[in-house]
Amino acid sequence: MKETPLSNCERRFLLRAIEEKKRLDGRQTYDYRSIKISFGTDYGCCMVELGKTRVLGQVSCELVSPKLNRATEGILFFNLELSQMAAPAFEPGRQSDLLVKLNRLLERCLRNSKCIDTESLCVVAGEKVWQIRVDLHLLNHDGNIIDAASIAAIVALCHFRRPDVSVQGDEVTLYTPEERDPVPLSVHHLPICVSFAFFRQGTFLLVDPSEREERVMDGLLVIAMNKHREICTLQSSGGIMLLAEQVLRCSKIAGVKVAEITELIQKALENDQKVRKEGGKFGFAESIANQRITAFRMEKAPVDTSDVEERAEEIIAEAEPPPEVVSDPVLWTPGTAQIGEGVENSWGDLEDSEKEEEEEEGGSDEAIVLDSVTVDPGVDGPSAGSRDAPIVLSDSEEEDMVILEPGKDPQTIRTQTVRAKQEPVPSRKPARRRRKKRPAQ
Amino acid sequence: MTEAAAVAAESLAGSKARAARTVLGQVVLPGEELLLPEQEDVEGPGNAGERPLRLNAGVRSRVRVVCGPGLRRCGDRLLVTKCGRLRHKEPSGGSSGGGGVYWVDSQQKRYVPVKGDHVIGIVTAKSGDIFKVDVGGSEPASLSYLAFEGATKRNRPNVQVGDLIYGQFVVANKDMEPEMVCIDSCGRANGMGVIGQDGLLFKVTLGLIRKLLAPNCEILQELGKLYPLEIVFGMNGRIWVKAKTIQQTLILANVLEACEHMTADQRKQIFSRLAES
Amino acid sequence: MRKRLNSWSWRMEGTTQTDAKIRTEYGTDSSSRGPGCSLRHFACEQNLLSRPDGSASFLQGDTSVLAGVYGPAEVKVSKEIFNKATLEVILRPKIGLPGVAEKSRERLIRNTCEAVVLGALHPRTSITIVLQVISDAGSLLACCLNAACMALVDAGVPMQALFCGVTCALDTDGTLMLDPTAKQEKEARAVLTFALDSVEQKLLMSTTKGLFSDAELQQCLAAAQAASQHVFRFYRESLQRRYSKS
Repeated sequence: MKETPLSNCERRFLLRAIEEKKRLDGRQTYDYRSIKISFGTDYGCCMVELGKTRVLGQVSCELVSPKLNRATEGILFFNLELSQMAAPAFEPGRQSDLLVKLNRLLERCLRNSKCIDTESLCVVAGEKVWQIRVDLHLLNHDGNIIDAASIAAIVALCHFRRPDVSVQGDEVTLYTPEERDPVPLSVHHLPICVSFAFFRQGTFLLVDPSEREERVMDGLLVIAMNKHREICTLQSSGGIMLLAEQVLRCSKIAGVKVAEITELIQKALENDQKVRKEGGKFGFAESIANQRITAFRMEKAPVDTSDVEERAEEIIAEAEPPPEVVSDPVLWTPGTAQIGEGVENSWGDLEDSEKEEEEEEGGSDEAIVLDSVTVDPGVDGPSAGSRDAPIVLSDSEEEDMVILEPGKDPQTIRTQTVRAKQEPVPSRKPARRRRKKRPAQ
Repeated sequence: MTEAAAVAAESLAGSKARAARTVLGQVVLPGEELLLPEQEDVEGPGNAGERPLRLNAGVRSRVRVVCGPGLRRCGDRLLVTKCGRLRHKEPSGGSSGGGGVYWVDSQQKRYVPVKGDHVIGIVTAKSGDIFKVDVGGSEPASLSYLAFEGATKRNRPNVQVGDLIYGQFVVANKDMEPEMVCIDSCGRANGMGVIGQDGLLFKVTLGLIRKLLAPNCEILQELGKLYPLEIVFGMNGRIWVKAKTIQQTLILANVLEACEHMTADQRKQIFSRLAES
Repeated sequence: MRKRLNSWSWRMEGTTQTDAKIRTEYGTDSSSRGPGCSLRHFACEQNLLSRPDGSASFLQGDTSVLAGVYGPAEVKVSKEIFNKATLEVILRPKIGLPGVAEKSRERLIRNTCEAVVLGALHPRTSITIVLQVISDAGSLLACCLNAACMALVDAGVPMQALFCGVTCALDTDGTLMLDPTAKQEKEARAVLTFALDSVEQKLLMSTTKGLFSDAELQQCLAAAQAASQHVFRFYRESLQRRYSKS
């Protein structure tokens, strides 16, 4: 599906508003939209809402053999998916430029910044290491995918717990969550992406652009940073020339934003941990805003199933018993057997138009005719000899059936059926057949 | 046990066809069947004695009822196909004994072109004699360059790709490409045409547009008191608004967007607060 | 036309039958209810995504599915059908890429939706349902069906009836459980999922796994029909709440 085009009037209005330091949703230049982080019931599952942009993150793990050149390091794998749910223009299963760019940026932000201690993911050096897979799904696209995705990824990684393992000699034991508490990953720091959109060749800048702002921007600068103000990655795209001071100013703003977001993440994680410890209710069901009129919930509902047995019996009693099946196979010739009685042959009474098609197929596809012919040598002679005559127009399937008829002369039956079929459409078909045949010969 | 009884009663009501008159203004769900007023009379026991007197009883029971969005004829009843509140409009003039119009007021976002609707479209392409206009439906509408006031083969209207068009559908049905015009039947613009380069376009649900365009809509009157403004509503859920300053335009757009889920009291509070500031 | 009338008169019979059934169902003493015969808590939020034409998130216990619907929207020429809308269902797993299991479920859901969506009203358009698994804690297919239905309603796609999904599980000693959790599904001898319509609780789709007798199949179906009443009541109440301010 195509995206709704952006009208000239929207473009003009947005740019003029930005010049006046106004934004559509009433934010200031450096404001983020509200960020909401909620957790699922599983470990490593989180939903991040950045305004209306929504990303679902899920971390999973499995034991694999390590890469040859890094025998003692675990593997980190990131996969961001742009689901069609997020915007109509996203096509399923297509690697768009945007997707490649976002995935690459995420990898640089989270893997190359060494925020996860990959050495602690090693179980047996050179043989078994943990592969940590981070799946991110964009559910709704309202701009600034990368910031929302980077927050979702790091939150999911912090929330994740992997099964505990122990190594005794060569033996590796994997413990279920009931046997031993799963262990969290060791996270060194929390890198977070902060996006800056530039307008009018870099004269104006906005933090956390919305989807409509992204459509009119000239360039984008993404700075990934942790709360210690260490830049993890920096990317400028869109082909605008930025002055050194502009980049410095942006990095200062990013520092402030990252500190705020990190605090929010830590609070959310602590809160979830507290609720889990106290045995309270957690999961997405708790994060649905109950006061919204679009949301509704129902408590556990008992269903009365006391009479299902009687009703089932009634239905079965009313139902007709299934027909008896004859199950002794009949052997006609070596290699050909029949089970059951089969149904009456309905090939003879095709409709006219259908019949013509069938006949054409039968006539032109000689391989089939020959195939069936070899089954019974008795039929071979006459059918081969009369190929040019109208009689051959019977299709191959019919001949199959004829062969299986016991105790009757196959030839006579075939000519009978053929004659019956011939009657409604006389004389026209032989001519057609001949016409068709000629180029083949 | 009392609760169970209530459930049983409700399920009964749910599965049996209800009379359309009794559910007016209530929420109806897809799959429900509604009885028309005349059928109630026929089926009710009270009128049984009267029926044989009428010679053309069969003709009489065929009520002329217009099914609006969300309703379909199913035999001699109405089948609900969309969720929303059931609405009814009496026939104008009361002639020919019609049953008026029934429809379902839903909070849909996707627009389906309807003949006669006024919509805001975005020009996506110019090809030969026609413009392709995005109206938010399943395919772009076509708009002839001659369908503007005063346009001739020589004097073409100045329309660029990306411009906003306020026009009316003259052809809109499920099997054909929708066609728009920017003139009425007398060849007058009558407010239609290209919308100016300033102002802001934004999207709301189709239900909100209908609410705003209803006669004597309070929201619009209150808005008008706030700032002087220019506003265009498209039945396809698009609103174009322009006030004196950017700030005012933004406020108006945000207030209109928020109106959908506000009660009248909440709205009054917001408007009074805006009027003070 | 004749066909239409036939099916209609038949429907009348069906309605009276279900009426009778409900009465007997609630008339009997409910103390003999088995422990598994209840639905977990349900929650639903509609219109939570801004981009799709309709969206809904549906929760059954800890199982949760998010659905987004686009339509009637433009269709690719290769998929265009001249006399009805092209219905497409995309099911996305939470971990990894969609595989055969997802394709098979997509098909089941699409067939169910095709039975109730009035696609002939919007020929040469597409109706796309995107389902995202948020968490799987049992009865996932049923939850997908419920989320798809609520999202279709939210999008205003014309339908001739609502539908719901109900999963039943039979454990080794033949006890019937409704809306099973992942653990119950794993231990069960058979798991059956039904899709039922809201007008007469008729079967729209069924898929089963494991061993069961024909009597058990009928029992599960009867239980699913009883449970569907609750689901449809939940639909009705949540939609009434949604339209309470308009």
